[in-house]
Amino acid sequence: MSFQVFTDQFEQFIGTNFWTMIIAWINILIMYLILRKFLFKPVKKMIDARQKEVDDMYANAAEATKAADEMKADYEQKLAKATEESEQIVKDAVRRAQLREEEMIRDAEGQASRILARAEEQIELEKNQAINDIKNEVSGLAVDLASAIISRDVDAAEHEQFIDDFISRIGDEN
Amino acid sequence: MDGESLSRGAKILFRITCFNGALTIDITQTTISLFAVTLIVSILAIVLGKGITKRPGRKQALVEKIVMMLYNLVETTMGKHNLKYAPLVGTIFAASLFGTLIGLTKIFRSTTADLMVVLGMSLVTSMLCWYEGIRNRGFFGWLKSYTEPVAFITPINLVSEVSQPLSMTFRHFGNIAGGGVLMSIVYAALGSASSLLFKWLPASIASVMPPILQVGIPAVLSLYFDLFSGLMQAFVFSLLTMVYIAQANPAPVPGENAKAKKPKKAKKQKAPASNGIQQTDAPAHQS
Repeated sequence: MSFQVFTDQFEQFIGTNFWTMIIAWINILIMYLILRKFLFKPVKKMIDARQKEVDDMYANAAEATKAADEMKADYEQKLAKATEESEQIVKDAVRRAQLREEEMIRDAEGQASRILARAEEQIELEKNQAINDIKNEVSGLAVDLASAIISRDVDAAEHEQFIDDFISRIGDEN
Repeated sequence: MDGESLSRGAKILFRITCFNGALTIDITQTTISLFAVTLIVSILAIVLGKGITKRPGRKQALVEKIVMMLYNLVETTMGKHNLKYAPLVGTIFAASLFGTLIGLTKIFRSTTADLMVVLGMSLVTSMLCWYEGIRNRGFFGWLKSYTEPVAFITPINLVSEVSQPLSMTFRHFGNIAGGGVLMSIVYAALGSASSLLFKWLPASIASVMPPILQVGIPAVLSLYFDLFSGLMQAFVFSLLTMVYIAQANPAPVPGENAKAKKPKKAKKQKAPASNGIQQTDAPAHQS
């Protein structure tokens, strides 16, 4: 193996040095491997990963928005239903209360009239009894008076005396 | 580097001879430049690709922009099924661009000003085309594709197959080397013009005057011939690479059996995504 150094040797302008081509190939291969390993692959991989992440994020956002819209619609529907229900409940309660009120008034009126009727009945009864008592009393009095008149002969003074006695007796008896 | 060296080709720095002269390797300026380009691109790749996080910093935003531009370009030109070629296209672009721009340092020679480097790059494209042709149709199916649509057209097909890398090579090489030659001619001409400018001075003073016309004027031309042309050629070269490989590997037809592999892959990628959505669904419903 020899090694020769030139100071003044040139190739042809259109050189045909085959070794230059081989060395060019080797260099292109080295460059290719290094560029691919250190530049193109990592950068492309990262760009793709980021692209995928962004796509995922957009997909998720769309999904979440859809879900939120659905939930909102659901809630609105539920809210409307609840409002309707509460109105219904209030209305029912008012109606029931009115019914109850009327019923109570009706009951009260009935009871009052019943009490009134009974009171009247009792009054009537007591009145009748009183009248009967008075009648009995009067008839007794009449009998007493008649028997008293019959048992003695009296003058006017005596009559008067007698009636006064009688009356006072009645008063005493009462 | 003077004009003469560019119009001659790369300078041979040393020669290694092995096996009693059976194998001689010429190490030229281009060789050194090639390794320099590889080193620069590798360092850039490692520095730019380091510390990639989900929340991008200022540096990462730029890196992502570049990478996404590359992948989008590959996807629109070659189709989604060819996205695996994006790193290769990026490598060829970087090799071409940095190989051209390294000539601006004037320490290294542009690698793309050497025919064999560009030929090597375009042969990479051709070999990938052949590989895709064989992979898609089988070896004999691939050979048979040269006789299509009719058998007598085969020579024309073969010529077009050979001219494909050659045209790529010479387009790129011609642009860069020609630009370099033009620039050196301009430098030489401006040097002569400025020495003419000082002719009225005594010879002793004129010989030490700087070539004043070389300042400024070449910069404008260099902007076009080195920067713009280099960028343009790198772009054109990688675009052609994409187009040729995409032609050799057309988009799979969904109904075809031979291509059942790729839709499966796509499905696999989709499945976890939908799982992820379903998984994240559950808590959303619970809440």
